[in-house]
Amino acid sequence: MKTHKRKKAASIVLASLLSISLTACGSGGSDSGTAAGGDSKGAKVTLELAISKSSQDSAFIQQDILDEFEKQTNVRVNLQLIPAEQTTTVLQTKLAVDETPDIIQYNLASAVTDLNLERNFEILDNEPWASRIVNKDVLSSGGHLYSFHVSQDTGMQGVVYNKQIFEDLGLSIPTNYEEFLAICEKIKASGITPVFMPYKDAWAANIWPAAAFADFVAKNDPTFFDDLNSNKKKWSDIPEFKTFLEQQYEVYTKGYTNTDVLSDSYDMAVGKFLNKEVAMMFMGDWLIEGVAEQDPSMELGVFPIPSSQDASLGASPLGGQLFIPKKSKHLEEAKQFLNFIASKEVAQQIVDSKGYVSNFSDVTTPELPAYKQDIVDNYITPKKTVLTTDAYMLVDRSELYRLLQDQFAGGLTPEEVLKAWDEKFSQLMQDKGVAGF
Amino acid sequence: MKRAKNLYSYYMIYPALLIYSIFFVIPAIAGFYYSFTDWRLDRLELQFIGWDNFKKIFSDKTLILALQNTAIFAIVTVIGKNVIGLLLAVGLNMRLRTKNLLRAIFYSPSILSILVISILFTPMLRTEGTINNLLEAVGLHSLSQAWLTNPSIVIWTIAIVSIWQSAGFQMAIYLAGLQSISQEYYEAATIDGASSWKSFFKITLPLLLPAININLMLTLIGGLKVFSEVYVMTGGGPGNASQVVGTIILRSFGEGNWGLGTAVNTLLFVVVTIIAIPLLIFMRRKEVTE
Repeated sequence: MKTHKRKKAASIVLASLLSISLTACGSGGSDSGTAAGGDSKGAKVTLELAISKSSQDSAFIQQDILDEFEKQTNVRVNLQLIPAEQTTTVLQTKLAVDETPDIIQYNLASAVTDLNLERNFEILDNEPWASRIVNKDVLSSGGHLYSFHVSQDTGMQGVVYNKQIFEDLGLSIPTNYEEFLAICEKIKASGITPVFMPYKDAWAANIWPAAAFADFVAKNDPTFFDDLNSNKKKWSDIPEFKTFLEQQYEVYTKGYTNTDVLSDSYDMAVGKFLNKEVAMMFMGDWLIEGVAEQDPSMELGVFPIPSSQDASLGASPLGGQLFIPKKSKHLEEAKQFLNFIASKEVAQQIVDSKGYVSNFSDVTTPELPAYKQDIVDNYITPKKTVLTTDAYMLVDRSELYRLLQDQFAGGLTPEEVLKAWDEKFSQLMQDKGVAGF
Repeated sequence: MKRAKNLYSYYMIYPALLIYSIFFVIPAIAGFYYSFTDWRLDRLELQFIGWDNFKKIFSDKTLILALQNTAIFAIVTVIGKNVIGLLLAVGLNMRLRTKNLLRAIFYSPSILSILVISILFTPMLRTEGTINNLLEAVGLHSLSQAWLTNPSIVIWTIAIVSIWQSAGFQMAIYLAGLQSISQEYYEAATIDGASSWKSFFKITLPLLLPAININLMLTLIGGLKVFSEVYVMTGGGPGNASQVVGTIILRSFGEGNWGLGTAVNTLLFVVVTIIAIPLLIFMRRKEVTE
C-alpha cells in the first residue's frame, strides 16, 4: 500500500517534469503573436524585429515609420533590442532553437559567416521592390538577394582626419607611408596628438590591416582570398602583410598616438575629435557621422590607409540590412513590412533624413554631407575603393582582433600575429567543415 | 506509524526537487552529453565525436593559458581574501571604539556587484589613472604600472581587485565564527599563562575551523569560476593575456563552437568537483566541537 502510493507520487512527479520540460522546449513562443495585441480584434499580428542595441538609431525603426505601418496594415512591429556585444550569440541561439524573430537587422557579410545565411534566410529575388534596386551586389550573396536596404552606402574605412587642422598646418593628404609619417611629425610638433588609437576595443586595431591587406591583394594577387579559403595559401605567405602590421605599430612606437592605446576605447573617439585633441584616426566614416551629430561645424574627411603608394579607400561590407528568417512565424507580414519601407514615399523619407545614397531607381539621392560627396567624387566614381578583408573571411574574426591587440601589448611580433592567425583560421575553417582544411 | 510520518515529510521535497531538476540536473546532464558532440550553429545534425573536444582543449595554447590564469586567480584570491579577511576579523573583534564603523566600511564593497566594482576600477587602473597618480603623489613612482594592459601582471591586478571587493565578506564570516568562541577558553588560557600568540593558534584557529572551511570553499569555487571581473575589466585581453576558463567558454560560443564551449564548461565542473570535495572532506575531519 505504502510503496504503491510512493510509486504513484513519483510517477506524477516524473510526468509533470516531462510535460514541463516538453512545453518549455517545444512551444515557448507560439502564443507571442496572438497574445501580444490583446484587444478586441484579437487577430492583430505583431512582428518581432530583432536589432542590435548599437543600431538603435537605425532608419528602419524610427517610431513614426512603425506607427504609420501599423495604421496602414494593422500589423504592429515589436522591437527586440539585443545588447551589442551579444547580438551574434543571441541571434545564433534564437535561430538554432527556432525561436526566430520575424525580421532581423544584421550585416550581410557577417550573416554569411555567423548566421548561416543560405539555410536560415529567405531569398528575396522575387519581391516587388527587387526590380527597382540599383546596386544589387551590396544586398546579395551567392547570386541571390538576401537582404534589404534603401541605401547603397557602405562604410568607408581609412584615415579619418580633421580638415581644419590639416589646413592650419598646411598639410595635404599623404599618398604613401613616408609622407604619412612626415605629416604625423608636423602635427605632433604643433602639440596635437596625430593619431588616436582606441585599442582597448580590439576590433579597432583591424581597420589598418583590413584595408591595407585588401588593397595589396587587389593590386598584386587577385586570387589570394580564393586560395586562402581553399587552404592553398596562408596569411603569412604574403611578406607585405607583415610590413603593414609593422607600419601600424611603428606609428605607435614613434610616439604619434595617445600614450595609453590599450586603455582607450572607441567610445572616447568622438570626444577627442570634438576637443581637437587628435588629428587623425584609422576608422570608418561612421565616426564622421557621429562627430557631425554632436557638432555640425566640425569638418572631417577620410583618406585611404597610406600603406602603399596610392592605396584605395577601404569599403566595408554594407552594415545593417534587414533579413527575413525562413522560420519567421509571420512571413507574409514581414515581407509586407519591407514592401512598405521600399515604397517610394517611405524610402524617400528615410533617404532624405539620413543623407543616404539611394538604392532605388525611383528614389532620388538628396544632397549629401560634404565628406560623403568627397568620397563619392574622389573614390567611388573613379572606382578607387577596395572591399576590406572582412568581406572575404568566412569565420569569426575576434581572435584576429585579439592577436592584433596583443601586438600592441608587446606579446607578439607581426610575424607571430600572422602565424597565430593562420593556425586559428585553419582550425575555425576545419570546425566549419570547409573543404581543404 | 513512525515510518509513514517519515515518508510524508519526504513528499515535501518533491516540489523543490522538481524545480532543481528542471533548472539544474537536466541542463547539467544535457551539457555533459553535448560536450561529446560537434554541436555548432551551422551543423545542427549532432554527431557524437567522443573525446575530440577535450583533446582540442588541451592542444589549444590559449585554453592552456586560460587554465593557468584561472589557477593563479583562484590561488591568489583564496589566500588574499582569507588572510586579509581573518586579520580584519581578529582586529575588529577587539574592543575598539570605531569597530562598528570600521566593520561597515570593510564590508561595504561586498554589497556592490563585482560588475560595478570592475567598471569603477577600470579607469582607475589606467596608465594615467588614479592609482598611478596616487603612487606618484606619495613618491612611489617606481611602482606605477600599466595595470590592466601589461600582459604579465594583468591577471594579478584583477585578482587584487577581487580580493579588495570580497575580503570584507570573508571578514563577516570570520567575525561570526570568532564571536561563537566562548571567552572562558581565553580566561583559562590566561590563568595558565599562555601568550596571546599561543592562544590564537591553540584556541582561536581550531575553533574557527568551521568558518575557515566555509570561506575556503566559497573563495576557491568562486575563484575557479571567475568571469565577471575579467569580462568587464579586460575582456580577456590584452590579446589573450587574461583569458580564464569563463571567458574561454564565452569565446567558444561566440565562434559558434557550442560543443567545445560546453566541453570547457564540463571540464571546469569536473575540476571544481575534484578539488572541492576532497578538500571539504579533509577540512571537515579537522573540525573540533566545543
